[in-house]
Amino acid sequence: MSKVVTLKAFFEEARAGRLTGIRCGRCGEIAIPPKEFCPACQERAWEPVPLDGHGTIASFTVIRVPPRGRAEEAPYAVAVVKLNEGVSLLGRILDIPLDALKVGMPVRFRPLLREEQTVVAFGPP
Amino acid sequence: MRRVAVIGVGVTKFGKHERTCAELFAEAAADAIQDAGVSPRAIQALYYGNVVGGEGDRQLHMGPLAASVLGIPTIPTTRFETACATSHAAFRHAVMEIAAGVSDVVLVGGAERVLNLPTDAATEYFAYASDATFEQPAGITFPGVFALVARAHMAKYGTTEEQMAHVAVKNHRHGALNPKAQFQKEITLEQVMKSAKVADPLKLYDCCPFTDGGAAVVIVSEEVARRSRKPVWILGSAAASDSMFLHEKKDLSRVLATERAAQAAYRQAGRGPQDVDVVELHDCFTIAEIVATEGLGFFEPGTGGIAAEKGWTGLGGKLPVNPSGGLKAKGHPIGATGAAQVAEIVTQLRREAGPRQVDGAKVGLVHTLGGNTATVLVSLLSSE
Repeated sequence: MSKVVTLKAFFEEARAGRLTGIRCGRCGEIAIPPKEFCPACQERAWEPVPLDGHGTIASFTVIRVPPRGRAEEAPYAVAVVKLNEGVSLLGRILDIPLDALKVGMPVRFRPLLREEQTVVAFGPP
Repeated sequence: MRRVAVIGVGVTKFGKHERTCAELFAEAAADAIQDAGVSPRAIQALYYGNVVGGEGDRQLHMGPLAASVLGIPTIPTTRFETACATSHAAFRHAVMEIAAGVSDVVLVGGAERVLNLPTDAATEYFAYASDATFEQPAGITFPGVFALVARAHMAKYGTTEEQMAHVAVKNHRHGALNPKAQFQKEITLEQVMKSAKVADPLKLYDCCPFTDGGAAVVIVSEEVARRSRKPVWILGSAAASDSMFLHEKKDLSRVLATERAAQAAYRQAGRGPQDVDVVELHDCFTIAEIVATEGLGFFEPGTGGIAAEKGWTGLGGKLPVNPSGGLKAKGHPIGATGAAQVAEIVTQLRREAGPRQVDGAKVGLVHTLGGNTATVLVSLLSSE
């Protein structure tokens, strides 16, 4: 029996500082929700699994021409972070100088709260 | 399956226009129908592509609108949207309609108009083609997506910003030979390197522009093609996807959907990368051209930057890539781009490309990428 982690639940947990992944009950693949079938083995047997939020930067960029409504935030960095559990997650970088960013740099998850919205972000470990 | 050919092409001037998407498409489509030498009455279906008309123009239900403005309002129409790969996806489905024997003459194309919008609004609408749950809230932009690809490629292979800049210089050199191109002027390596940063490591001249424009092609069954002037045959047309989530890409330095679509198209055509004489590929950003030349099998992984630097992909080089000027110089009206790329390859294979003609080109490849590398289409065409 697959236990679905909805996006709403993922972001409610994230808002409280906790990252939630899902682990396949058949092959052990770990994924970021939401997902129905396991992309690795096509089983439908997910179990929620806590992620410790630690990882390293796989790639990053500094956004200097932002979309509408983000002008006051720019420049800001966005990174794909490879988490210790093996899955990756994209998020905003906080509290690390833009010119200090490097591929391979260790970072740690923390939520960025923008009114009702919760944004995945990473700061110093 | 029946053989399918392109017998007519039409492309508007790319740049800024004071006309609606439907008008831009209709101009290109009328040109394509006249080029094909068929009556408008012969068109049996329209596959129409547009991306941000719903947001920018408050206009949905665009297929019948486009057909109405063209003046053939009673044919079946469908609007396609696969981000920047939109009208190449429309093309593939139209090919299947003819190959399956449903129709004999089908019109395919698309249009986009964004230069009437403020830049931040256009940037926002384009970002809608990224995931709205994780990625848009983090503030990602399209230059940002390809900056992540660039950084990963640089870290893995040592690709340099100068190598990327060579792609921009080359495509502007080609665009200067194309009277339909948005930018018909050459640029220098220094100009690229000194241009303003958009999303590090990408700079302004690493990025294609916002563009208004339309493009269309007429495709037909073999029976109709045999009666027409210089038909160009479709040897294969394939699509592939990759996860929509950047966090699920297995390797950010590659575009796996390009590799999958290319393998499928080569298989359909019974050809390989060594058989290709001319390429129009999706250089939305300079790094995208480098990664595509690798994924399509022209150069080994990690060596696309070297190929650009050595001039192998320029007119007169080993394998001319984007003789039209590419998205970088010709411009990128996203809903029209795939059809415009097909139109360029058809023009090349008919030997009608004038000063940008690739000598002796017999087999051409078209590669179009949608959004955050999640959609790719590859088609192979031949003059024989």
